[in-house]
Amino acid sequence: MTTIVGLRCSDGVVLASDRRASKGGMIGSKAVKKIYPLDGNKAVAIAGQLSDANYLINLVKAEAKLMEFNRGFPLTVKEAAKLLANILYSGMRSYAPFITEMLVAGVDETGAQLFEADISGAVTDEGFTSSGSGSPMAYGVLEASYKSGMPTAEGANIATKAVKAAMERDPGSGNGVEVLTITKKGMEWLNLGGAQ
Amino acid sequence: MMSPSGYDRPFVMYTPDGRLLQVEYAAEAVKYGSPVVAIRGKDFAVTVTRTKDPDPLIDPIEKIHMIDDNVGAAGAGFTGDIHVLIDQARIEAQRHRIVFEDPIDVKSIVDHLGQFMYQFTRYGGVRPLGAALIVVGSDRAGQHLYQLDPRGLMVSGKALAIGKNSEEATDVLRAGYRSDLTIREALDLAMKALSKAEDSDSPVEVGIAAGTTFKKMGLEDALRIYVK
Repeated sequence: MTTIVGLRCSDGVVLASDRRASKGGMIGSKAVKKIYPLDGNKAVAIAGQLSDANYLINLVKAEAKLMEFNRGFPLTVKEAAKLLANILYSGMRSYAPFITEMLVAGVDETGAQLFEADISGAVTDEGFTSSGSGSPMAYGVLEASYKSGMPTAEGANIATKAVKAAMERDPGSGNGVEVLTITKKGMEWLNLGGAQ
Repeated sequence: MMSPSGYDRPFVMYTPDGRLLQVEYAAEAVKYGSPVVAIRGKDFAVTVTRTKDPDPLIDPIEKIHMIDDNVGAAGAGFTGDIHVLIDQARIEAQRHRIVFEDPIDVKSIVDHLGQFMYQFTRYGGVRPLGAALIVVGSDRAGQHLYQLDPRGLMVSGKALAIGKNSEEATDVLRAGYRSDLTIREALDLAMKALSKAEDSDSPVEVGIAAGTTFKKMGLEDALRIYVK
């Protein structure tokens, strides 16, 4: 269930998600968070098992903070994505996989970065991507509208449209859209519809 | 210091009068360390220390260490031993965040470090850490100032000093401390105590716990921010 999308833009990145958590045939929550900051310049969007994702995020945040204290500067977005993927990979290899897929996005000294890490620990470097049960619908919008090098303001618009399209046709997605834009200036959150 | 008389050879052995000489020697090592002074006021806590080595070819050595966004620490004694403690504290702080998704409180860090140091006074084959630590931080209960020594003893206090000439520094603190000190007054008093303990012109590092955070800066920046 879920729809999450990520876009790499000229001056930053955009993550967007719906707000629905499914519990079997029921809506378990109408105001769930699916986008989490890792630190001041990078965040993840999650799809799949919420508990697994929360656990991984806490682990990566802790490891990232320790590294930052020890070496004196923060992880790059790629380093954070690889760190996350290594844990996902070891989960798969020990027959206890983390049932989750994550988009890692942020801005560092190498520019705007977007990565996708899946249950197997595979990391791919993406311009735009989507995950969750609503991703086929979201991809329809993204494939038609995404252009590399577009500004984040436009990216945020397209990301919102993509999630909204998925919410129209995917029963696993709904209850409003949350959008996070990350640029050199910092993070900007946007809440559209749904419960608070 | 008392003459060894044979009881200080094994790692853990009492003298007939009930002392652990190896632990006392470790405490002695701290007295050669560069001094750290700290003061806790009504709604803040500050710590000051000098970065080692005025040698222009060597970059200043970091003396105040961030433990988490809300806690910092500075040590006196063997640098390696201090770093082991800093590492332990940082890991404990992040372990707390993983479990509770909230920053750790200052006392939990100090408790953990105290336990850690104490273990080295009980087992053979190890050496008590030759380091004392000043831990300063903010949490939900306010601002805190603690001191840890090689015995694993933790002390909470209003104005504390460790390292070289800490007695002299403490005399200055005792004479100048008031419960209504402002941050600036506390910085001035701490600097007076630090200068009494060590005559040096190497740069001063300042750590300030206020609100919900702990921040590290140079003395010049601190004096610019806290004018009165």
